[in-house]
Amino acid sequence: MNNDNKKWYSLNLKKSPKVDSCGCGNDSGSCSGEKTKDGYDQVMNVSMGRRAAFKKITAGFLIGAGAVSSSCSVVSGDENKEKSGIEWEEYFKGNYKLMTDKEKEETVNRLTRSYELRTGEKINMTSKDAEKDVLFGYAFNISKCQGYMDCVNACVEENNQDRATEMQYIRIHEMEDGKGFNFEESDDNYYHEVPAEGHFYMGTQCFHCDNPPCVEVCPVQATWKEKDGIVVIDYDWCVGCRYCMAACPYDGRRFNWKTPEVPEQEVNKKQHYLGNRLRKKGVMEKCTFCIQRSREGQNPACVEACPTGARTFGNLLDPKSNIRWILENKKVFRLKEDLGTEPKFWYYMD
Amino acid sequence: MIQKIVVKTLIIVIGLFVISCKHSHENNYHTVTDKIEAKTVSPENLTITSKTFNENIKTVKFAEDGYEFLIPERKSQITSYNCTECHTQPIEKLKQNQVGEKAAHWNIKLAHAGVEIMNCATCHSNGNMDNLHSLTNSEIDFNYSYKLCSQCHQKEFKDWKGGAHGKQLGGWAPPRLSNTCVNCHNPHKPAFEKRWPVRFNTQKVKERQ
Amino acid sequence: MKTLKVFGNLIKDGFLEVTHGSKAYHVWMAVLSFIMLVGMYSYSIQLEEGLSATGMTDRVSWGLYISNFTFLVGVAAAAVMLVLPAYVLKNIDFKQAVLIGEGLAVAALCMCLVFVIADMGGPARLWHMIPVIGVFNFPNSMLTWDVLVLNGYLFINITIPMYILIMRYQGKTPNPKIYIPGVFLSVFWAVGIHMVTAFLYQGLQARPFWNNALLGPRFLASAFAAGPALIIIVLAIIRKFTAFKIPDTTIKKISMIVTVAAQINLIMLVSELFKEFYAPTHHSISAVYLFFGLEGKTALLPWIWTSISLNVVATIVLTFHKLRSNLNILYVVCGMLFIAIWIEKGFGLIVPGFIPGPWGKIAEYTPTLVEISVTLGIWAMGAFIFTILAKTGIAVELGQLVYKKKN
Repeated sequence: MNNDNKKWYSLNLKKSPKVDSCGCGNDSGSCSGEKTKDGYDQVMNVSMGRRAAFKKITAGFLIGAGAVSSSCSVVSGDENKEKSGIEWEEYFKGNYKLMTDKEKEETVNRLTRSYELRTGEKINMTSKDAEKDVLFGYAFNISKCQGYMDCVNACVEENNQDRATEMQYIRIHEMEDGKGFNFEESDDNYYHEVPAEGHFYMGTQCFHCDNPPCVEVCPVQATWKEKDGIVVIDYDWCVGCRYCMAACPYDGRRFNWKTPEVPEQEVNKKQHYLGNRLRKKGVMEKCTFCIQRSREGQNPACVEACPTGARTFGNLLDPKSNIRWILENKKVFRLKEDLGTEPKFWYYMD
Repeated sequence: MIQKIVVKTLIIVIGLFVISCKHSHENNYHTVTDKIEAKTVSPENLTITSKTFNENIKTVKFAEDGYEFLIPERKSQITSYNCTECHTQPIEKLKQNQVGEKAAHWNIKLAHAGVEIMNCATCHSNGNMDNLHSLTNSEIDFNYSYKLCSQCHQKEFKDWKGGAHGKQLGGWAPPRLSNTCVNCHNPHKPAFEKRWPVRFNTQKVKERQ
Repeated sequence: MKTLKVFGNLIKDGFLEVTHGSKAYHVWMAVLSFIMLVGMYSYSIQLEEGLSATGMTDRVSWGLYISNFTFLVGVAAAAVMLVLPAYVLKNIDFKQAVLIGEGLAVAALCMCLVFVIADMGGPARLWHMIPVIGVFNFPNSMLTWDVLVLNGYLFINITIPMYILIMRYQGKTPNPKIYIPGVFLSVFWAVGIHMVTAFLYQGLQARPFWNNALLGPRFLASAFAAGPALIIIVLAIIRKFTAFKIPDTTIKKISMIVTVAAQINLIMLVSELFKEFYAPTHHSISAVYLFFGLEGKTALLPWIWTSISLNVVATIVLTFHKLRSNLNILYVVCGMLFIAIWIEKGFGLIVPGFIPGPWGKIAEYTPTLVEISVTLGIWAMGAFIFTILAKTGIAVELGQLVYKKKN
């Protein structure tokens, strides 16, 4: 937030020197750490240039039609001008996955400023990239889960999920003993004293597959796997076709069928661009392993909230991590392994 | 002529398929387990830390059997420690003066194993109340009460050391700080209690009507 | 330059042509416009409220829009398959039918594209999908394939008839060397759009109901039944209301295609039912839901059984040469087949794919009024486009519209 913010309603999108950074999960491509530009980068730069041109052309049309009058008008206040300037820049920004560090910072600043203009409150949004040598994994102890749903509560609050439609990333399935993992007969919306006699509990959420079918099908690459294994969504790039939702075998994805509502005093102000920032209607969202927390070294909200220690989160590449010990010493399994999705979410029993 | 056209179209179609075959071989690994194995790094090279999230927790070190991590310090959390501040005399001398007079710690009901197996004195020392004691009467510091629990709960102890039982505090990143037994389980009543789930989703009900 | 001028004149004359007509024509167009307006109003509601204005939920996340899209891709593909015998096998009979067929394909494709846009959560952000400006996840995403093939197909199907019409308009004979390669390409392409659309569903390991190898071929078979069936009906209407001459033999030849396709489709249906119900597995639950209902949830039962009975009856009737030769019976049967396949390939295919959900939960789908009127509006738009195209095309073919050199 410096004198740069004047640029918001100038239509110039100056090409900044490409800094080697890319949030993609591609280890062999531009993320290799080397500063060599491969085809990926070049395509990217070109597309940015073209997009700027596209933007200018559209601007020309719209100014002709008077549609951007508010951003150019002398009458409306400075704040309104700034607001529509931000909206304008936001509408034409590129895919986060392909942004340079500077562009990431700019969009974060715009979003922060836009929130301030709307509500008068400050949020703290970051665009922190994946740490080196980190691959996140999750383990769930089905012997320990008691079905209290504290995790669900914590998740909703942490991730600013829509209160009106009661969107929840986590589902806790109440299963009957002796029937195996029979999801058809399980109940994921129980309301009685828990743990119920003769039942056990199993939580599902986005499994952050290593071979995610949802990423494959997205027509605009609005969802991708980050280097640290988190499958993320660029909410501003998603066009809302819901193909990923159809492709997910784990019911991990949620759609904003209407504008999400979060009461102002309940908004979690510590946000990440790819994580819990406020969404709009018509876009997908899902669990991000609380990217705003996990990238800092903190546990996701569900892990922190769990009173029974049924949830373990950690770095799969750290041989001394708890998750690694579980994978090496417990009888772990994953759901629907036959689909070849390679979830990074394991279950185990005591 | 028709044949020529057919052949040409076929070539175009096949060509299109060949070109569009996926060229990104991002996944060089057959499974994620292979990937983990191949990319594992030695712990010293990991830079990220969760120290900031653990700052406010007073800790002591656990180091046994090759495992090393932090556990919350306990003694400062006990409201009226040292015990000897009240218990100046051994228990025998604290006999009730009158019948029906309330005993100290009257609200504690032991619900841990059976009466034949455990009573107060199984863990608390008669003579030195500032410490606990093991089955063989060696002293155990309140900070290291897990030693007491692990006498019976060996399987849980093993899982806890490794990280499969219990709960990590603060962050996932090193240094590891894990709850010790009594942080989650009340030693006098170790089982988790039944209670109502914290929420119920009314929208799901509507959706499935 | 000259071509442009001719084209400009054709547009002008075409405009005059489509704005003049009998009373019935005007009433027809007025009704269509009205339905389109209602649809647009409903869509504005949907834009305002978001997709919560529809009956779709996280459980059943594709509904009426995508169902109709899938079905119409089939219609578009099949309409052009008639091109092959007409142009290549020098079967004069078919020529009139083909012009109508391509008009139908264009209308169906427009409807397809509009249905997809109507289904989008963020239609304003659709520019993200434009190659070069946005990010086009090709070749990984089947949806990008679909975008490519549908638009390509639309382009081919506009240019070929346009070329022919412009030539006829000038009183010249179209040069087969120019249009026949295009015709060939469009025939391949027609198979392509249908297979790609099938792959869109077939490639999802998450949905066992779709994830079967028969889906693509079955798409083709049902499309070649429903598409030409629609053409027969349309030809019958055109025959009745215009001076355009379509000989009985044309209709009978097309009915032959319909018959074979319907028979193959029925065989595939039997094969699918056998697989699902002879040795039912975990993956057959969607089929159980579709045909018998699950846990008292039976919303699709009346539809699918209507579809199957219509399908079976129509196929049997078509199989008998004598019955098929009676044009009045043929029209009725074609109507039945069209409706049957619309149900079966539309929401009979899409909705059960989502039920039960990945964790076995059953939430049924009922389209809302908004959704239904948007759908009707889009169908009206399709009919509107087709009427315009057909009226102009017929006028040119009949020689009523001729390029007049003005100087």
